[in-house]
Amino acid sequence: MNFISKAAKKSPWIYRINAGSCNGCDVELATTACIPRYDIERLGCQYCGSPRHADIILITGPITVGVKDKLLRVYEQVPDPKVTVAVGICPISGGVFRESYAIAGPLDQFVPVDVNIAGCPPRPQAIIEGLAMAIDIWASRA
Amino acid sequence: MNFLQVLIDNLRKGPATEPFPFGDASTPAAYRGRVAIDQDACVGCRMCEHVCAGGAIRFAEDNEALHLVIWHNTCVSCGLCAVYCPTKAITLTNNWHVSHRQEDKYKQVDHVTIPYSACTSCGVVFLKAQDPLMQLAYKTVGANETRLRDLCPDCRRVESSRGARP
Repeated sequence: MNFISKAAKKSPWIYRINAGSCNGCDVELATTACIPRYDIERLGCQYCGSPRHADIILITGPITVGVKDKLLRVYEQVPDPKVTVAVGICPISGGVFRESYAIAGPLDQFVPVDVNIAGCPPRPQAIIEGLAMAIDIWASRA
Repeated sequence: MNFLQVLIDNLRKGPATEPFPFGDASTPAAYRGRVAIDQDACVGCRMCEHVCAGGAIRFAEDNEALHLVIWHNTCVSCGLCAVYCPTKAITLTNNWHVSHRQEDKYKQVDHVTIPYSACTSCGVVFLKAQDPLMQLAYKTVGANETRLRDLCPDCRRVESSRGARP
C-alpha cells in the first residue's frame, strides 16, 4: 500500500467543471490534453470522468447564478486533498461578464482557489504552467 | 523495413512536445499574449480605457500625475488597445507566463505614471503634450510649439490669439 500511495503522488487526476463557460477555455483544455505538441500527460495528469476520482479541479466560466449550486455540489464530492484551479479570466474576475446580473462569481468567493490561469482563453502553454503549479501545491498537501 | 526509416527520422527530429513552461514555446508573432505598456511612449490620451472590452485598463489621477493601471486578470487579449493607441505604447507580447498562485491574484497589475506639469504662465497643473504626441502631431517641433505646449489650455488660447486683430 505504501508503494501505491507513493506512486499515486506522481499522477494527479484532473477533473473539469464548466460553470457557464463559453466553451473557449474547455476547447483549450481539450487541446492541451489531446495534442502531442502540448501533452499534459507528461506531467502525470489524466482527465477522469467522476469528481470522486479527482485530485485537481479545473473550473471554467464565470459561475452563472443558475450553475452556482450545482458547481458547489460537485465540488463537495471531490475528496480532500484537492487543488482548485480557475481557468480563464471569467472565474478569476468575471471577465467581460463582470458585474452582470446573471453572474454569481468570481469563483474565490465560494471555494478556496489555489491557482489562477489568466487568458481569454488561456493558451495551452499557460494551462500547462498553471497545472505544473497546481501539481506542486497538491504534492505538498498529499 | 520502412518502419526503420520512420524510427530513424523520429529519433533525429526529437519529441514533438514543446518544452514549455520549462523551456521556450515557439509562437507566431501575431498571437496575442500579455499586454505590455511602454512607459515613455504613453501620452495619457485614455483611448485604451475607452476601447478596453474587459475593463482591464483604468485611469486614475491625483494632484501630481495621471496613472494608467491595467489588471491582467480581466484582460481578454483582444488587442483593441494596441490598435487604437496613437503612439503605439501598448503592444501585445508573446509572453505566456500568465498563470499564478492565488496570493498573487491582485499583483498582476502594471502601472504607468504620466506626470502633470505646471503652466509656465499661470502655474495651473495640467497634462502636457508628451514628446511622442508632439512628434506625431507636427512634422518638426519648433520653438513656438515647444513654448506653447508648456502653457495650460487657457493660457495657450490667449497666447495663440495674441497679435490677432480685435
